[in-house]
Amino acid sequence: MTKGLTLTAVLALAMTATPALAQKTTLNIGMGSADAGKLDPHIASATPDKGLLQYMFNGLVRIKPGQVSPDFIEPDLAESWESNKAATEWTFKLRHGVQCQHDYGEFTSADAVYSLKRASNKATSSYSNDYSGVKDIEALDKYTVKITLKNPIAGFLGYVANVNGGNMVCKKAAEEMGDGFAKKPVGTGPFEFAEYRPQQYVKLVANKKYFRGEPQIKEIMYRYIPADSSRDLAFQSGELDMIYGKQDQTWYDRTAKLPDTKVVAMEPAEMSTLFLNITQKPLDDIRVREAIAYGVDRKGIVAFKGAGSSREAVSVVPSGYLGTDEYAPLFPYDPAKAKELLKEAGYPNGVTVKTIHTTLTGMQTFIEAIQAQLKKVGINLDIELVEHATYHAQIRKDLSPLVHYQAGRFPVADVYLTQFYDSASTIGTPTAVTNFSHCNVADKEIRAARVETDPVKQKELWKTAQEKIIKAVCGVPVYEQLQLWAWHTNLDLGYDLKGSLNLSPPITEKTHFVK
Amino acid sequence: MTAFLIRRLAFACVTLFAVLTLVFVLVRIVPGDPAQLILGDQASREAIVALRHRLGLDLSITEQYRVFLVGALKGDWGVSMVTGQPVIAEVLRVLPWTIELTLVSLVLGVAAGVPMGVYAAIHRNRFFDYVARIVSLLGLSFPAFVAAILLLLMFAIVLPWFPVISARSGSPTAWFQSITLPAINLGLISAAYIMRVTRSAMLEVLSEDYVRTARAKGVPWPVIIWRHSLRNALIPIITVVGLYLGILIGNSVLTEIVFNRPGLGKLIIGALNQRDYPMLQGMMVIYTMVVVLVNLITDLTYGLVDPRVKLQ
Repeated sequence: MTKGLTLTAVLALAMTATPALAQKTTLNIGMGSADAGKLDPHIASATPDKGLLQYMFNGLVRIKPGQVSPDFIEPDLAESWESNKAATEWTFKLRHGVQCQHDYGEFTSADAVYSLKRASNKATSSYSNDYSGVKDIEALDKYTVKITLKNPIAGFLGYVANVNGGNMVCKKAAEEMGDGFAKKPVGTGPFEFAEYRPQQYVKLVANKKYFRGEPQIKEIMYRYIPADSSRDLAFQSGELDMIYGKQDQTWYDRTAKLPDTKVVAMEPAEMSTLFLNITQKPLDDIRVREAIAYGVDRKGIVAFKGAGSSREAVSVVPSGYLGTDEYAPLFPYDPAKAKELLKEAGYPNGVTVKTIHTTLTGMQTFIEAIQAQLKKVGINLDIELVEHATYHAQIRKDLSPLVHYQAGRFPVADVYLTQFYDSASTIGTPTAVTNFSHCNVADKEIRAARVETDPVKQKELWKTAQEKIIKAVCGVPVYEQLQLWAWHTNLDLGYDLKGSLNLSPPITEKTHFVK
Repeated sequence: MTAFLIRRLAFACVTLFAVLTLVFVLVRIVPGDPAQLILGDQASREAIVALRHRLGLDLSITEQYRVFLVGALKGDWGVSMVTGQPVIAEVLRVLPWTIELTLVSLVLGVAAGVPMGVYAAIHRNRFFDYVARIVSLLGLSFPAFVAAILLLLMFAIVLPWFPVISARSGSPTAWFQSITLPAINLGLISAAYIMRVTRSAMLEVLSEDYVRTARAKGVPWPVIIWRHSLRNALIPIITVVGLYLGILIGNSVLTEIVFNRPGLGKLIIGALNQRDYPMLQGMMVIYTMVVVLVNLITDLTYGLVDPRVKLQ
């Protein structure tokens, strides 16, 4: 008995004497892609690249970590800002003493001006369009930047926030490296670039001079793991702390059951819209387009996609954007009405509509569900499946009368309306973006809202634009898919995650592991 | 021998040229615009046109072909449209991973397949033979990626012996941990192939007169099997191994992806998705060269194992 007790005591002592496990400071993130793309914040548009670059860069302003709405804009590199009454002249006061990574010196107004000009230049930026309304960018002194606009821009602060073209690069580094900047990006963010191993990972290390304080995470291993199942297994085995999920409900449900795991469906959602080409037969007949709108059951699609990770569309602009009409008059599901309209349009025996569609799994299952729904009202959706890059090329050549497109944008109605419904963005034109339907019914309102300074009038204009587009059935919005992520509960992000415009959970100076 | 080599090399050049031209045309026939894919879906038409110009995609097809051929002759395969790195550098960086995986799995395949095939042939129509044939049939018909997931579940999750991310390097232990599961995954399939070929080649040799003579004059059984029979059965086995090496490199695509190893497979999938023309062209040339080289080595080996084969 005494012996047993002694042994227990020795064991207990030995256990307490073991040095406490060193606090984990390396964060392993698993991303669903085979490799990095271009690691230049002004060019990167794919989820894997944007998600990584946000750890290295700041904007003049930022949306509070974990939030996606412009309502949460707060100071980043700029301490304060003001605009004139007409909102055409913006002055930003920069923080003093912010250091560029890799010893590229202090970040000053010269860097900010250079960065914004770089983002507006179509030779160096994918986002140059966003800055077409900018007239002049100048440095008033070492810490003051003035931006003059040709006319007021809706949600302008979004373009100088830490997203896309608003990410601030360091002038000296960008000039020195030229095209090589994408191989060693230099910003001012909490983490700096350390190493890139093709097809394996990008390693970032803590920026010790970060102006908000040295990050508690010392190293981020951002691993490229394209196979969903392998990413899940590496997460289960503990090799990864955080993973990009397979974007469907079964993944969500399965992963949520794992021990010590947090699964999140976060904003921004990508909205699935069926764009109907109003210039091509048989969709040039509005009755056929209306029949499609009546024939789509949004509730059914959300039930199919899973309520935890998707929700019904509310308008032709995704929900939650500045200017979205959350109660827009979308067509209700009414199969009888759809059949009647088809008959009226001269198709009593049904009609065939062609669509060229990608083989991306999540999107393909959606269009097959739509096909089944439309079949019930006598619309035969003829789906031609092609691989993703081919799909992108062909839908831009007017080869697909019905285009299913999934997209999220900067959460201001103007961006979505301009890119998808302004006639200037019509595909095939020199200024084309993604107006697949050749919609032109709301140009007046979209353009007026863009330069309207009174927020109430602006919202009114956007509302009218949405109503007109819905009425003309340029697009049938169906559902919104949230972004799925998971991480082990020993990781404390340091903020509440609702979403991230950069499409991955932000890792800030406060993010850390708990024991 | 020299004449043989020269002739084969000349053939190789013709093959390479044909593949080059074919690949050049094929990658461009497939729809998809590299500039659009690089810039993303929010880029304006103007930005895309500007990038197409910078990448030389606005030149006529014949002009692009000329530029490509002249570059290729000078050993310049161009730069990747996505990363801006020279194609050769990108390929060479991951090539060792693929070669390593292929060779180790081939060695595993031979080490398991040949003895099993010999044993099955000796015990023809007996219990072991049936088992070996059924197992090899399973090995052939089981998709590599399913086997890969099962291996990971078993030996990385249930029994946490190996990592899921099999791309460690540095120490010999790390290397061993990283190569084992992927090599077994690929090796199992090649073992199945090699076992079946070995078995049938051995069966044929075992029924030869000289084997009967050897047995009649009392040559020990192991000597008959390993020296007299296997040696004569080697030619078809080597042919299969050579042919299979080409297939293995192709098969390695899925294994690399599931086991998260860098390699040609991942590179080619990425290049395909991004329509990275120079990259695809460069990779095809490498693949072709490897296959041509392996075939050449196979032919040379015939002469080594069987002096009756003269290379002319």
